[in-house]
Amino acid sequence: MIVVLLIIHALLAVTLLGAITHQAISVWLPMHKTAGSFVGRMRSVPAASYVNAIVVLYLATATLGGIIYPEYRLSVRVVLQQLRLNVPNGLFELKEHFVTVGLGMLPAYWYFWHQPLAADYARTRAVLTSILAFIVWWSFLVGHILNNIRGFET
Amino acid sequence: MNISRSFPVFATVFAVVWAVMYVIAVEKNYALFTYHPALEEFAFLVEKPKEGPAMYWYGWMATSGIVALVAGLLACSIPERAKQRVWAGWSWTIPLGVIFVFGYLLRGFFTR
Repeated sequence: MIVVLLIIHALLAVTLLGAITHQAISVWLPMHKTAGSFVGRMRSVPAASYVNAIVVLYLATATLGGIIYPEYRLSVRVVLQQLRLNVPNGLFELKEHFVTVGLGMLPAYWYFWHQPLAADYARTRAVLTSILAFIVWWSFLVGHILNNIRGFET
Repeated sequence: MNISRSFPVFATVFAVVWAVMYVIAVEKNYALFTYHPALEEFAFLVEKPKEGPAMYWYGWMATSGIVALVAGLLACSIPERAKQRVWAGWSWTIPLGVIFVFGYLLRGFFTR
């Protein structure tokens, strides 16, 4: 069961990663006319249309992470400590705290992105998106590294 | 109280207080409850590990969430003129600062 939840957690994280990355790129490198290239199309996506999906995916991914977290504490963290793998252990500790800080930013993120977009909040929107993108990328990469070191039931 | 005018103040104060309260809760271990994963038991406030580790993360979030919610709701009741002077940028500067604080607090994992 825990493996199924871990896989769903990873799939949600991939979806969230794609959404927040698209939004961050379109915020910092906007392209207003329709582009033909792959990169151009990424830059020209309507950033505001991702907001609700990102909030829901962030909450769902974090909730599922919280559900499987006890298994990590019992089966994985102990092994990391026994093997003195301090860096991966520390990376995960940071992930835990970064994700929590991101949760507190979600109401502000949602509000400042709601339509119609206020020009006064353009910088706030851009930075909130960037911080969330950093948190999501950090969490995804750390989760991937730890799963490679010791995935559940290995 | 005009909800559409109050929400940006609520959201900004919530983000600030959540982040600050969370780092305080982690540092001082102000967990509203403790979870013992090996026993699958919850306990009110902070308890020492019994069999296996004790998890405080959920309790830290609960503490931060309650304090941030109360602070955000209180901020909604400030006068309209004061609401307009609440800088939206606090919603990212303080959380970003807390991210750096955690990097500093946990530096021991990367230096030993």
